[in-house]
Amino acid sequence: MSGNNYQHLYVIMEVQDDKLVPVSLEMLGEARKLMDSFNKKYQSNEKVVAILLGHNIKEVCNTLIEYGADVVVYADSPELKDYRNNIYTKIISRIAQDEKIASHVSPSSKFKKPRYMFFAADNIGRHLSSTALVALDSGLASDINKLEISDITLTHQHKTDGKPIMYEKTLEMYRPDFSGFLWTTILCLDNKNPKIERDYHPQACSIIPGVFEPITQDKGRKGQIIEYVPTFDQNDLRVKVLSRQVIKSEVDFDSYKTVVSFGRGIKDAPEQNIKLVEQLAKMLNAEIGISLPISKKPFGVSENTSSKYMISDRVIGTSGRKISPMLYVAIGISGAMQHVVGMQDSRFVVAINPDENSPIKDECDVFIRGRMEDVIPKLVEAMKEQSLAVST
Amino acid sequence: MSDLNIAVIIKLEPDFSEGNVSYNPDGTLNRAETKNTLGPHSAIAAHAAFYAKVMYDAKISVGTMGPPIADSALQMAQGICDADELHLYSDRIFAGADTLATAEVLKTGIEKMQGKIDIVFSGHRASDGETGQTGPQTGWKLGFTFLGNVIDYKVNLQERTIRAKRMVSLQGFNDVVEEIEAPLPVFISIDPAYKANFNTISQRLSFEKYKKEAKIRSDNYKHYLKVFNAQQLGVDLKFVGLPGSPTIVYKVERIPKGKATRQAEILDGSNPEDIRKAVAKMKEALSAMVIK
Repeated sequence: MSGNNYQHLYVIMEVQDDKLVPVSLEMLGEARKLMDSFNKKYQSNEKVVAILLGHNIKEVCNTLIEYGADVVVYADSPELKDYRNNIYTKIISRIAQDEKIASHVSPSSKFKKPRYMFFAADNIGRHLSSTALVALDSGLASDINKLEISDITLTHQHKTDGKPIMYEKTLEMYRPDFSGFLWTTILCLDNKNPKIERDYHPQACSIIPGVFEPITQDKGRKGQIIEYVPTFDQNDLRVKVLSRQVIKSEVDFDSYKTVVSFGRGIKDAPEQNIKLVEQLAKMLNAEIGISLPISKKPFGVSENTSSKYMISDRVIGTSGRKISPMLYVAIGISGAMQHVVGMQDSRFVVAINPDENSPIKDECDVFIRGRMEDVIPKLVEAMKEQSLAVST
Repeated sequence: MSDLNIAVIIKLEPDFSEGNVSYNPDGTLNRAETKNTLGPHSAIAAHAAFYAKVMYDAKISVGTMGPPIADSALQMAQGICDADELHLYSDRIFAGADTLATAEVLKTGIEKMQGKIDIVFSGHRASDGETGQTGPQTGWKLGFTFLGNVIDYKVNLQERTIRAKRMVSLQGFNDVVEEIEAPLPVFISIDPAYKANFNTISQRLSFEKYKKEAKIRSDNYKHYLKVFNAQQLGVDLKFVGLPGSPTIVYKVERIPKGKATRQAEILDGSNPEDIRKAVAKMKEALSAMVIK
């Protein structure tokens, strides 16, 4: 069923203000590694194909080759300068099913659709992947931070009609759940059950920015650059981007050398405990961060406190910001992986936590065992005595 | 007479507020012990729809796919947006659906709502699933223009267009607010930062009027509720539930504890000497910053 109809890994690039969004190169890096071992394992020659849409983007194509793409397919038009979901979805799904392009990528193949497809899990890619995969009639896993390709034998009531069937070259897509403690592996599989037989390719996912590493740039790398000339539906062009205004977030981790974050450990007296965090942050001239669960507003606090602190702008971690301050203080944060990714590049880390077994212990330089209610006032007092106050 | 038909799609989700949420000792969600409620992002979508009620006298329909108890989420949403109609798509066949199969049900349901829908609102993402895919996928199946991360909108009833502001935040770039114009119909996934403003006195009067009506209606929500099973919806069984789901959950595992990246010095928070030591360490860490 699948055979050679499905080939290659297509990776959707993102460009903003004529510059690549970093996640694009991160996805290419991971794609390169996966397909290198894929081709070795299956003795094949399937390609990493970067798809690039925009205006005046031709320059970027070479960069993509240097960062691991075998082929770049680009569409260049003033109408593609700004991202418009309907237009982008149509062009990407057309490129992904274009036989002429496929024949350039690998001659003599009977290509129908890509085998795998990657998008960025951000404000553009998250929605674009959703709509593109409906257009391509296949499945999608979102917010992935680990990928593997393997042959999987599976017995499934619907997919295999209860019989064991081997699925070759299956993309295992690992997705951390909201708590950061569980990994869910998602597979996108053809229905091989004769009663509901259906092909589901590409196997696609959106990838969390900041998780994977780009490969080292190789100026000598060679690849193929293919231009795709897009056509537009008149009605789609009635959607217009009228203006773009850059705004700076009120929360600005980058201009602070110290960050103090709090998590669910504030639970016994949320309002008062946040006040304590504020006190400590003031002493250290720190910006205040939070763990992901706090952004879901789990505690009853005043409207003012809630709208100031329990917001996604302050989340440190894979679903928020990645920071690297000189000093990071984690208060009542257990240290789920999804948080650690956001703070592990900090120069010096202090954790305040009553539970010595919490994972944050392995991610900090100083672990102060105790409840925040007890520890912070003492810390603040000692700071005054030892004249530790950071000025702006 | 209203000239604008709005749909809202919502979801019954675990209630993450303290006292209602329950975690297992290992930090994972205890679903059996956790109560359910209207998802917070669904609630924001309902607020966005209510804005159209106040401003444009819109007719509002709310739909959800879920078990019979999901009618409580519809009731809560009606209390927010003063819905004229509530749809529950409920069938055992729908259980286990992934986002594509869910979108198929929602699309079919929206096509059965009163009037020809001009705008559909969905939440940003569910608090439990967190994929954020179902909204845009439903929009694409409907053939509507999709606008994501919308924080503000105005409708031009004469021209049948919408002007919306959307947030674009991308890794390594400053956030951007884009203003977009699009012909109706549109599908909007509403950003968590959305907040309705009612500035004039007549808007506030209208707000109060509909708020009262919403309370009365949601107290009698069953009167507005229509329940559809797969057959009544007329969906193709191949495209819904597990058979219509390309993806499966293959396994769930604890994320293995990574290797310790740092060797922590453990200090006792109740020992003044240890506290002094902690402060000295922090001081040392920060002094590096002065030198640099």
